[in-house]
Amino acid sequence: MDKLSRYLRGPLTLVVLIVIARYFFPNKMTFLVEITTFSIYIIANDILYGYMGMVSFGQPFYLGVGAYASAIYLAHIGNNILVAIALALLMGLIAGLILGPAFIRLRGDYFALINAATCAMGLFLVEKILYPITRGDDGLWYRSRMHATPLLDLRKPDQFFWFAMIVLFVVMIWYTWLDRSAMGASFRAIKVNENKMKFLGYDTFKIRWTGYTLMCILAALAGSMYAINYGFVNPSITEPARAAEVLVATLLGGAGSVYGPFFGTFAFLGLKDLVSTFVSRWELAVGVLTIIVCFKFSGGVWGTIQTMGAKIRSRGKASAQSAT
Amino acid sequence: MLELYISAVVFGLGISGILFLVSIGISIGFGLMRIVNMEQMVYYTFGAYLTFALVSATGSFVLGLICGTAAAAVAGFIVETQLLRKVYGKELMFTMVVTFSVFLIGIGIVQYVFGLASKPVGMPFHTIVHMLGAKIPLYRLMVFVIGMLVYVFINLMLNKTIAGKAIRAGIENPDQVRGLGINLGRIFTVTFVIASGLAGFGGALNSPLVGVTPYMGFDMLLFAFITVILGGLGSIKGTLVSALILGQVISVGGTIYAPLAFVGPFMVMFIVILFKPTGLYGVRGRAFGFEE
Repeated sequence: MDKLSRYLRGPLTLVVLIVIARYFFPNKMTFLVEITTFSIYIIANDILYGYMGMVSFGQPFYLGVGAYASAIYLAHIGNNILVAIALALLMGLIAGLILGPAFIRLRGDYFALINAATCAMGLFLVEKILYPITRGDDGLWYRSRMHATPLLDLRKPDQFFWFAMIVLFVVMIWYTWLDRSAMGASFRAIKVNENKMKFLGYDTFKIRWTGYTLMCILAALAGSMYAINYGFVNPSITEPARAAEVLVATLLGGAGSVYGPFFGTFAFLGLKDLVSTFVSRWELAVGVLTIIVCFKFSGGVWGTIQTMGAKIRSRGKASAQSAT
Repeated sequence: MLELYISAVVFGLGISGILFLVSIGISIGFGLMRIVNMEQMVYYTFGAYLTFALVSATGSFVLGLICGTAAAAVAGFIVETQLLRKVYGKELMFTMVVTFSVFLIGIGIVQYVFGLASKPVGMPFHTIVHMLGAKIPLYRLMVFVIGMLVYVFINLMLNKTIAGKAIRAGIENPDQVRGLGINLGRIFTVTFVIASGLAGFGGALNSPLVGVTPYMGFDMLLFAFITVILGGLGSIKGTLVSALILGQVISVGGTIYAPLAFVGPFMVMFIVILFKPTGLYGVRGRAFGFEE
């Protein structure tokens, strides 16, 4: 029971904070849903980069896999939203299993760039080749085709918010578990020294493949949530140019930590939102801030919070000791 | 039909010239400094915008070309000495995010000074050459010839001068070069300034062909990366060959089926990386973290 509460405490606090924020700032609800969805997307990238040390320039492709799997199902085949989400997860799994063996034997920048190439080809696929199914740049619209789901009606934004909270809660518990499990440790070991892992008798290929497939599934889940939340999908979701914001958000939050992705997303989207209300050109401000974060706060937002917390705690202890 | 393809080939050659000029900086950054310099495209944008400003102010394209190149070189000097020095030796992702931030800042500055709207730049001359019945703008041919001249010039510099030899040695083995008492830091700076000047030069040459927008660097960035990867990291010859191939893929491929102009280079890169990850002229196992 004690062990269970250790996994539940962090994610529960996070979700409760978001719910409180939703009632304090009712007009920011869409923003909170966006943060939730985006942070699942960033968690996917964090497994790849923060844990396994593999950089990818093509993350929008995996988002697009999930988004289009849900969208095509809802627009052409069925009406059940939950089936659409399940289908997106399945497509993510298939993509990971098929593309994995070809991609993960590449290292460093080659892995990054083959993902960029995949992303560009994915865009091409949905824009031109699958035009009869995806309707190209016009996008797919299917809000009216979605049927109500039991318990929570996912067509309504305020109920979708609760659904997003549940998904975030589950994903965060799983992610906390991953961080502390043997699997998370082997991901980290691959980043540090893969040869030594091989020497110890681990099949690093399988470990990489597992991590890559998990990334695909999570990114597809995020994509499917985007698709259902907005009620339409167009090819801009898989644009290669958007790959950079994923990397910036991951680094901003602090790579390879449990809460890093969430805080990175919060900082990135929040800054973009905030800056674009004051000045119309967010590039300049985000660029300068990212450089400051990179050089001064190398642990990202979450790393800085942690070190500050540790400092306060040690100071508190010191003062308590001096008082006695 | 033949005329169409002849002019497509010549257009491709023009694109190759631009791709080559723009990619040298990224190739050298990969090979020599072991960083991913995404901010090369800032110099490309700066070069193009300065050309636009000077052409619309004075009407002289040559002046714009010279000032664009100079401004890009100066920007490269400032970025290298103030920022990138602190980045050398850090991990790949870090260099990528830092240089990408520089790229964003550059775009922000350009937007601040020139605004968001796309602007046309006047062609310096409109001469048309007739070749086997096809009408070809002389300017495109000139861009290609300039690209080739730059290649010859760089090759001479790398092979005949002491500084060039030091650069080549630095690509092979930086520690050994330092051990010989050569100031590698200064060589980095000089190389970087030349590379960014060339990127600015490429931007200046490209500005009459595509017009200038603040986001012109984004479009070029991916193509420049493909050129470098296809050719092999740190190989100037490889960069030239892949620029020639990609120019044809973009232009002739685009003539056959229009979407190929965008997606064709990615397909080529996809196939090459899967079967020969070091690129056409890459040295086996040289690039970061890549172990065979």
